[in-house]
Amino acid sequence: MKLYVYCLAEGVDALPEPVNGVSGAPVRLLKTEDLSVLVSDLNADAVPVTRENALGHAAVVRSILDRTTPLPFRFGTLVTEQQLRNYVAARKPALETKLALVRGCVEMSVKIIWELSGIEQPEPVESDQDNKQGAGATFLTEKRREILGGELMEEEAADISTWLHETVGGLIRSEQVSLRPAEKLVLSAAHLVERDKIRQYREKISEARKDRPKLHFLLSGPWPPYSFANIELEFKTPFGVS
Amino acid sequence: MKLSPENPLSAAPEIETSHAEEFVEQLRCVTDTLPSRINIDAQSVEQGLAKLVLTLIEFIRRLLEKQAVRRMEGGDLSPEQIEELGLALMRLEAKLQELKTQFGLAEEDLNLDLGPIGRLI
Repeated sequence: MKLYVYCLAEGVDALPEPVNGVSGAPVRLLKTEDLSVLVSDLNADAVPVTRENALGHAAVVRSILDRTTPLPFRFGTLVTEQQLRNYVAARKPALETKLALVRGCVEMSVKIIWELSGIEQPEPVESDQDNKQGAGATFLTEKRREILGGELMEEEAADISTWLHETVGGLIRSEQVSLRPAEKLVLSAAHLVERDKIRQYREKISEARKDRPKLHFLLSGPWPPYSFANIELEFKTPFGVS
Repeated sequence: MKLSPENPLSAAPEIETSHAEEFVEQLRCVTDTLPSRINIDAQSVEQGLAKLVLTLIEFIRRLLEKQAVRRMEGGDLSPEQIEELGLALMRLEAKLQELKTQFGLAEEDLNLDLGPIGRLI
């Protein structure tokens, strides 16, 4: 029998209501080192990656979000009870630091799409010299144009990132930003926002997006702080693979 | 720990966008690139290895191109050297295209997601 691990939290003594998790398994609270871990007992070596299981995992983490801010574990974390207790004991200072970071906060997400064709690309400049040059030189000239275009897009994407940071900077505790200038979904940002600032944050984004009418926005949340917790919480045996 | 009254939380997450279909399409593209399961069979191992090797070659090829363009811009290459360098890089690009076709890989397959630090290319 193994434990499927959903999240770790502080100050939770009981589950707010009975909830089922992955594979429909009931969820229970495991207390260790003054911390609470939400787990399910599963007789399996791996959890199938299905829509139902992903939603089950999210629902369990979400179930305590209105009482505290948990640290979510990566989907598919399946360990023995002893492994879990050893893990928490060995990493307690780091986990407490993480909990302090997310305490009282939730994650808000901003995604931005831009029209790649809307970015001005350097025009090919033909000269007499170009007409005379061979295939190799023409190839390099074309590459130069592509590289300059790519650099322009990188600058434009960085400018959007800076603008977004300046827009919400005073309202966030931390952020994770992924910039992909070569793609349509150019920016994905996760912001750690204090709960009492969520409305202000939404208003700020709604107001600011009017300055950038060519960009398409998706604002979502509040979510558990997935982007601020998972990385250092990984076990060496995720997905039940030993 | 109960939330204090000054720390309210709305019951459910909200999603605001006026371009839902566009975002669904883009997010689907992202999830489609994530492997749901690693299949250990001879064919997928071969293709996976080819993808990794060709990605690294593509990364180096792009570095070489940038370096060649910088040198061309810097004026330290003669017209003959520019032509020769251009031809070599053109052939390398064509060869890589041939290998991609051979292994059934598309342009967007040649990349590595490096997690928090982004993509290789």
